[in-house]
Amino acid sequence: MDVKNVSPFMAAFNIVMPRLGFREIRKGDLQTKDKTFSGSGVIIIVGMVGELRGNVAYVFDTESAKKIAAAMLKVTNIDKLTEMSKSALGELTNMLTAHAATAFAAMKILMKISTPTCIEGDDIEITMSSEKVFCLQMMIDDSTIDVNISFEN
Amino acid sequence: MKNVRIVVVDDSALSIALISDMLEQNGYEVVGSAGGLEEVKEVITETMPDLVTMDMTMPGTDGLECTRAVHAINRDIRVIVVSSMMDDEIISQAKRNRVSGYIQKPVDEGDLIAMIERVMSAEELFNVLKADYFEVFKDALRDGLNRLTKTLITYQEEYLCETEYTAEGIAIMIGIIGEFPGKMLVSISKSTAHVLTTTVLKREPKSNEEIVETMSEFANIVAGNACSVLNKRNRAYGLRVSPPSVLSGENMRISPLNYPTYTAIGETVFGKMLINVGFKRGEIEAWT
Repeated sequence: MDVKNVSPFMAAFNIVMPRLGFREIRKGDLQTKDKTFSGSGVIIIVGMVGELRGNVAYVFDTESAKKIAAAMLKVTNIDKLTEMSKSALGELTNMLTAHAATAFAAMKILMKISTPTCIEGDDIEITMSSEKVFCLQMMIDDSTIDVNISFEN
Repeated sequence: MKNVRIVVVDDSALSIALISDMLEQNGYEVVGSAGGLEEVKEVITETMPDLVTMDMTMPGTDGLECTRAVHAINRDIRVIVVSSMMDDEIISQAKRNRVSGYIQKPVDEGDLIAMIERVMSAEELFNVLKADYFEVFKDALRDGLNRLTKTLITYQEEYLCETEYTAEGIAIMIGIIGEFPGKMLVSISKSTAHVLTTTVLKREPKSNEEIVETMSEFANIVAGNACSVLNKRNRAYGLRVSPPSVLSGENMRISPLNYPTYTAIGETVFGKMLINVGFKRGEIEAWT
């Protein structure tokens, strides 16, 4: 798994998030993780298949999920994550992964993306398919999204 | 191809007449026309067409606002813009508003008909997939289990899943790409996964990791075989699967995310198994 496969996701955040009205988009830590790690809140997984095969798991802690969904739905706040708010987050991850796929295409790596799967819960153990996973942390205004990127060799 | 019902939207009576004639001469049924936003809402609600041809510039509104109004009434209605204006920015805006195709005036009859055929044949292809895929995935789960363990699954409960459901134990998620994107999820309890792994490996699993790997491979076989069967029925699907991701935990709440999926729950000698599968009608695009 090559670190150059992370930059299309950063590019996607920089294009998609301002269009949705988010003002400050910053890159946080970039680290490698083992294939199994844990997450709580909202986890959305999107498959990518083509010249590379893999998955991206977006992990939103509950508060970040509420804030980002509220901004997308243009409401001041969300008390509880409803189907509507999770649909908004699903649409966001779909847009981000589609834009990442476009950035990969510019690198001559063609891929298509699956529909997202959205899971909410606490202390969920996630096992990706590659031995090493890149975790890119993105700060969006006062929220955080962990982008776990896993491509097979 | 089934009878295609079309509404023509244009502020020019001459354009409506020309486009309607072209469509009717080619066997399409023009069920209505409109020249502004309110008329669009009325005629779409009354006729529920399969497709709309949409002018871009109209007094007090535009083709994009009218397209959004059409999709607010029914997301599945396809819109083809027919306009004298055409540049990269307008096409980009049209794509963002879920327009399926864009054709420039003056309209070439052959181009318009070819575009409608492309858009509607993709629609028809999706309907065939929708009618077939759930049984194919259920068969693939049954065959996969039988090949690996020589045991059977008896499906006890099947339903269209439009709301959140809860999975306990292990959920294996496989993304599907192709003409229409989708996903498959198989969920089983940890004890079922343990016994199933023991049977497949013919020994006790050495670690939790070995159970996760065995279940991943099992789900991979099921999804891969199901997609192969569907691709053999129609190569145009071009379905391929992503590697499996496995989630383990208690009370994992899984959301359908605005498109219906199908769930079957079956009994096996190892315990219950749940399979959930869905495909999404993609944004069909045909651009001149």
